Amino acid sequence: MHKENSSISNFRKYVIKILVPVLLIVGMISAAFCFLFEKKIILANENCGAYKINRIINLNDPTEIPIIGSSRAEASFIPEILGPNYFNYGLEGTQENVMLFFIKEECKKKNKRSSVIIANIDLDGINTKTGDIANYLYNSNDPEVKKLLGADYKLQYSIPFVKYVGQFENYLRYYLNNRMQLTKYSKDGAFIDKTVLPQKMIDDLIKYRREHQDVFLHEDKLKKEFFKTINENKGRYFVFVVPPYHSCYFTNYKNPEDAKAFVNELRALANVRVFDFSSVIYPDSLFINTTHLNYNGAVRFTKEFKDSLTTVKITNFK
Amino acid sequence: MLFNSFGFLYFFIVVTALYFFIPHKIRWMLLLAASCFFYMFFKPEYILILAFTIVIDYYAGILIEKQIEKRKKKKYLIMSLIANIGVLAIFKYYNFINGNITGLCNLFRIHNSIPYLSIVLPIGLSFHTFQAMSYTIEVYRGKQKAETHFGIYSLYVMFYPQLVAGPIERPQNILPQLHKENKFSFENALLGSNLIIIGLFKKMVIADRLAVYVNQVYHNLDTSTTLSAWMAAIFFSLQIYCDFSGYSDIARGTAKFMGYDLMLNFDRPYLARSITEFWTRWHISLSSWFKDYLYISLGGNRVSKLKWCRNILIVFLISGLWHGASITFIIWGALHGIYVLIESLFPKMTAPSPVIKLVGQLKVFVLVTIAWVFFRAASIDEAMHMLKLMFSTDFSLNMTQLAAGKGPFNLALTFLAIVFLMLTYFLPRDMQFKNIKSNVVFLTITLFLLFILSKDAQGEFIYFQF
Repeated sequence: MHKENSSISNFRKYVIKILVPVLLIVGMISAAFCFLFEKKIILANENCGAYKINRIINLNDPTEIPIIGSSRAEASFIPEILGPNYFNYGLEGTQENVMLFFIKEECKKKNKRSSVIIANIDLDGINTKTGDIANYLYNSNDPEVKKLLGADYKLQYSIPFVKYVGQFENYLRYYLNNRMQLTKYSKDGAFIDKTVLPQKMIDDLIKYRREHQDVFLHEDKLKKEFFKTINENKGRYFVFVVPPYHSCYFTNYKNPEDAKAFVNELRALANVRVFDFSSVIYPDSLFINTTHLNYNGAVRFTKEFKDSLTTVKITNFK
Repeated sequence: MLFNSFGFLYFFIVVTALYFFIPHKIRWMLLLAASCFFYMFFKPEYILILAFTIVIDYYAGILIEKQIEKRKKKKYLIMSLIANIGVLAIFKYYNFINGNITGLCNLFRIHNSIPYLSIVLPIGLSFHTFQAMSYTIEVYRGKQKAETHFGIYSLYVMFYPQLVAGPIERPQNILPQLHKENKFSFENALLGSNLIIIGLFKKMVIADRLAVYVNQVYHNLDTSTTLSAWMAAIFFSLQIYCDFSGYSDIARGTAKFMGYDLMLNFDRPYLARSITEFWTRWHISLSSWFKDYLYISLGGNRVSKLKWCRNILIVFLISGLWHGASITFIIWGALHGIYVLIESLFPKMTAPSPVIKLVGQLKVFVLVTIAWVFFRAASIDEAMHMLKLMFSTDFSLNMTQLAAGKGPFNLALTFLAIVFLMLTYFLPRDMQFKNIKSNVVFLTITLFLLFILSKDAQGEFIYFQF
């Protein structure tokens, strides 16, 4: 009995003298830190993935024309060249499951003055890739975000502040890049490398690409959902764009006919327009690797795309 | 289940809470079940390998004790050692030996038709095998009574805090503790918390940060310079220390929370002034295992100088081989053996000045760092490439190369991590603070830094592969 009491008093002592003070102080400091971090770093930084996810969910700008897609969207479209109402929602490391999430969120907005949604297409098919978890943590309690993360959603993501453990560096890195603009161009969601690679490095990348085979492959369920979503939103006009690849990308490309069939399938939809720049050959100096343009490449591409866009009736403002 | 994951946090809270709630009589069942669950999280079927060696060693221990004749005792000991080393040989060394046979056959243009095995190395195999062997050897030597409780013996091998990466315990230290009833103690909980937090800090803030630079340089040796190669080599010396000692701290802290004392595995090794001293401070549980069961069995230092040299080389070569079935690990071990032999040629200073002490520490750090190159490299070619870079004269100060292509921000954070590592050397040796206030301050600051500076990598501990 005595031993049991001493155990309980020891436990009580540990809780009162150590656990509670430490957790309380750490909790308070962390809460204040996170509050400031969210306001001053995450939400003050347009190129940050978490900002983009929050923006698509919570910001309803009737005049905004969203550009949605993967890192190829993020690094190819310069909104300020296209006009004042464009915002680049491209997210590095993501694929069509995330694009679909953005499209659905965008289509929920009913007071839009432009029906256009611009999205990039990657020629590796309709696939699932959610990318960096840091993009989703600020909105981790949003039911659609939870659904998107699926099995990747962990218990700690629902705990305020704790969810950011291990992620602060990611946000800070974006923030510093945005502030300093030393090696990256960062504006209106576009996040583009300014580096012009030495020819030797480009040659190595080309060699690597030629040695590896690229395949166009679909996840059937996701593809069905993709087409269903486009069909269900007939009031919106989808402009799908294939930004340029380095020509070597197609040297060892397994099934170009499947990619072409997919693009044609999209073209057949009434509310879709496709601009395919994949056959346009850009010089080596405009690429940061064989699938992404650098800033100079993005400037050239965006201007060319802007010219093409004049054929689309996008200014259907009410 | 990794110590540096939220999964382990939940597991630890549940197991520790249950441990103090249930009666002492059935606590071994809880710990054994928890240990099985912990182990099976990695690769469930490999629990059968553990079960096999546990059953063999349990009965071997009893049979060794029962025998009066030394010859018969030895017979059972050898049987147990064959079973343990056999498991190690199959799962860890079979393909390595077969590869060498193939190489040899190729020299004589003979075809080697012995097939390779497609197997994954069971996690922590070398650790629990060595712990199991220390039990039967101690029973044979008469220094430990055979454990008759099968559950307790199983727990001795499988105790989850030290199951996958040590410390490699001795039966004299652990078995009596597993029988003893533990009550929740304030001191144990406090020390346990300190050890767990500092261990996580070493792993998640320091080791994982240093790993970014190290991995980047080793993966891109062609674009690295002399400076970046030296930085990567030095960073790896610090990374492996923080990674492994961090693991040991968490293991000791987790056990301490429940009232179990695991042995100290690292004692500020980079303060050592000689390689011999380094090995009394680095991975103490393994180096003392080799000393107790191999070096002394070979005759230790009570033999001629030549035989002593042989003993030292054998111990270090086997220590290298223990770490991995690769020539790089063998060279790493051999280098340390050679260091010790060369060191023995010079007389020890009785009262060295602080400058001499510092020079000794720097010498040890540089020598150990060079040896780590073989430990870290994936192949001899890679190690030689790295060493060639380190001893070349490409001192270009290109920022991209200097930052290993990971940017100046990552480099700044890496140096910050090293500053933190230096600060950990000022913490009390046994993590026991003078008063509760300073302990609370330590926990608060470390926990907050862990919160904001830890890497998301959730990287495995380096020593898990052994």
